[in-house]
Amino acid sequence: MPFSTKRYWLDGKWLGHILLTPTQEDAMIYKLIKMLDKRFGIEQAKAHCDIPCGIYDPITAQIAALTVVRMIDLMNDLESKHPAGGLEVQNSIGRYVASKEAHAEKAKHEIRVIWGDYIKPQHMEKNPELHDLVHKIMALGSKSRQTADRETAVQFVGAINEFAGIFWETKGIAVKRAKAPYPPALDMIYPDL
Amino acid sequence: MLKFVKISEDSLLPEYREGDFVLIAKIPLCFDSVRRGDVVVFRHPLHGMMIKKVSHVAERGSQIYVMGTHRNSIDSRQFGAVGKDAILGKVIWHIGRPTR
Repeated sequence: MPFSTKRYWLDGKWLGHILLTPTQEDAMIYKLIKMLDKRFGIEQAKAHCDIPCGIYDPITAQIAALTVVRMIDLMNDLESKHPAGGLEVQNSIGRYVASKEAHAEKAKHEIRVIWGDYIKPQHMEKNPELHDLVHKIMALGSKSRQTADRETAVQFVGAINEFAGIFWETKGIAVKRAKAPYPPALDMIYPDL
Repeated sequence: MLKFVKISEDSLLPEYREGDFVLIAKIPLCFDSVRRGDVVVFRHPLHGMMIKKVSHVAERGSQIYVMGTHRNSIDSRQFGAVGKDAILGKVIWHIGRPTR
């Protein structure tokens, strides 16, 4: 096992070094300071947040992406039933488009939050494809807003499912593939709790 | 001059996590070298002792603007600049909580 000769410096002055592996060294120093904390009580500094953090779940993005497909299905269905259009049809189409826009953006937002706030360097090391995958999700989300192409929206759902699989893996939670219990009933990735 | 401080809460994620320790330098000389990117510990009248990253320094070093790296961080975006006198020290050593 390689040993560390890590040195500690303060304002250009060498404080010393310990011959241990990096992991052992860090853990030992942490343990030592924690003992001091228990014995003497080290003062706490707040890295303050306005709400408790730590709640992350890709399901919000998955459902939002699924909604995008649903809106396209409803638009296609309406168009086939009322090819002549009309004010009522235009009104419904307008509402479906607005919902598609909002949910595509919501899915992108939720992925960005997990990407920015939860994903850490160790996750990236283990899943180097994450960066490209997130970029792909952003592009598919934008294309889903710009068009009414069902295939693009289905790919959007698929890419977010892939992201969800990696997310749960980072937490050591197994996943299962199952059809969504509502239209459009696409295959989804769920945590197998 | 030197002081260990324990971090609570997560506004400096992912670099600093709750339960980590930091060693801060209270040497006056170091105060003059507080600059953008430094992590500083300071006292806030409402929130108590806080740790944040310096986003910029204004008015010849007397006004220090701080920010967390988490989206929900409470920092200078809410409470404005921190006076130089409120700074307790800057982090010179970060002892992270072992991950395994």
